[in-house]
Amino acid sequence: MNPGVPGPELAGVLRFAFTRTQGNFSLKAAGDFGSGITALFGPSGSGKTTLLNCLAGLFRPDDGEIVLNGRDLYREGSRTFIPPDKRRIGLVFQDGALFPHMNVADNVMYGWRRTPERDRRVNVDHVVELLGLQPLMKRSPDSLSGGERQRVAIARALAMSPGLLLLDEPMASLDGRLRGVVLSYLRRIREDLGIPMVYVSHSISEVLALADDALVLSNGSVVASGRPSHVLLDPALGGMFQDDPIENLLDGTVSEPGGAGMPGRVRVGAADVVTPPTGRPADTPVIMALGAEEIILATQQPSGLSARNVIAGSITELEPVGDRLYATVDIGVRVLVALTQGAVDALNLEGGQDAYLVFKTSSIKLLDAAPAGPI
Amino acid sequence: MSSDLTIVLLSLRVASVAMLLALPIGFALAWLLVRKQIRGRFLVEAVVSLPLALPPVVIGYGLLILLGSKGPFEGVAFTAFAASLASAIVALPLIVRTFVVALDGVDPRLELAARSLGAGSWRVLMTVTIPLAYRGLLAGALIGFVRALSEFGATIVVAGNIPGRTQTVPLGIFTRIQAGDDSAALRLVAVSIGLAIATLIVHDLLLRRGGLSGRRQRAGFGA
Repeated sequence: MNPGVPGPELAGVLRFAFTRTQGNFSLKAAGDFGSGITALFGPSGSGKTTLLNCLAGLFRPDDGEIVLNGRDLYREGSRTFIPPDKRRIGLVFQDGALFPHMNVADNVMYGWRRTPERDRRVNVDHVVELLGLQPLMKRSPDSLSGGERQRVAIARALAMSPGLLLLDEPMASLDGRLRGVVLSYLRRIREDLGIPMVYVSHSISEVLALADDALVLSNGSVVASGRPSHVLLDPALGGMFQDDPIENLLDGTVSEPGGAGMPGRVRVGAADVVTPPTGRPADTPVIMALGAEEIILATQQPSGLSARNVIAGSITELEPVGDRLYATVDIGVRVLVALTQGAVDALNLEGGQDAYLVFKTSSIKLLDAAPAGPI
Repeated sequence: MSSDLTIVLLSLRVASVAMLLALPIGFALAWLLVRKQIRGRFLVEAVVSLPLALPPVVIGYGLLILLGSKGPFEGVAFTAFAASLASAIVALPLIVRTFVVALDGVDPRLELAARSLGAGSWRVLMTVTIPLAYRGLLAGALIGFVRALSEFGATIVVAGNIPGRTQTVPLGIFTRIQAGDDSAALRLVAVSIGLAIATLIVHDLLLRRGGLSGRRQRAGFGA
């Protein structure tokens, strides 16, 4: 599960090019995406929401086309407009939007019951297991935590075997601890079920950790699209993102719990990282959050440092963003490191070069990941 | 003079038929007002609310012109159905107003979620909208029913006061007062008060259980 490595990518799963005008706002969107996760990024008012509503069939475009898995959902001229209940596109709203008058099981089964037998490709039991919902099935949505609600909403959308999943900031209403859990569930869905997802987010860190593709909207137009690490770090867009401190969200497993004055250890990729006491037993999956600004890059193995972590890897990319530069360093997983141009010049850094990541134990935050499931 | 039982049963029948007419129409109007950006919305609201502001006798007279011997629907006047029609029109504004509040409390995103999950408009209505709004809808139906039961002015004009055919409880009370039979009148008054109190208590219970609690309104993703 390498966050930076694209998942199963096949262009042509979701293809669209259309315009939609509403009052004095006009959206002109085009994209061609594969079966992985596509992040939709942009400031508020940029048209993300309008784009989602058009894909879901809640809004009708003025012209153009929307094609999903070879099926026309909308086509100008031929009068094709598939209504939302016939599109098989799952929606996940920010706070879940669960049916409050049904228990979790009935919420999850709502779409499954309305799915013709021949279209039921997703095994509901499997989804329930994947998202860890078994103990919640009889509960009412009112009694669930934010993260639980979000998982139920995702399961409800998956149970109808959607051809596409649209997620509108599914983590915005969650605290940091729960973000890790939902993040790792979404990664699992991508790997396990192969359902393409379009994902609205305001967080570069999330997008870098999850998405295979990214589409950046601004003022109703697509200003960039492509691989997240390229798109989001595109110098032309630098201004749009700079106030977001970029965090690496890396999958790991506790190898030593630590505690009682002893640090913990977490295995991330090929590295064994010294962390604060983990508070979790060995072999627990975790997400390790590490700010891109918190890491020092060295070209030779340093010694005599107070920082506990010195990890060898190799530089795969160097991307300038505004007056900053981001180096992607492969240590078994891809880690983003923020640098200044001066540092890059002084060290004579270039792609392909071996490098060491240096960071303090205290810069690491550990987030809960989804419990390891029988996948 | 009709027996108390005849009058009460006829009243219940007239009011029930009135509800069969007013509830579906009231629901459709409320749904239009809450969920659709219709043109002429103000006009619809005004027409629906008009019977609240007009003297019932005016409604009755209007109906009499339509349903009477010279009207396009000749022969309907002075029947129990005419009484039901009069009650339905007078009850409609109360029903629509209560239904609007009830439907407004249903988060439209839940309806959108249901549609995306493969439910057609009708199924969304039956499995999401109505179950979530049912307390308010029931309260509206009760208020309408009480109003229909107590209808006098419009009914007496368009349906007359025919014992056994159109003489409902309020008309029966009126007849008995005029005849000077106080004890007979008071018996029907007691029935009236009993029915009203019972319905209002149920109405109050329904509302107090929080069926009309406000919810955040959003249409679609985002705004």
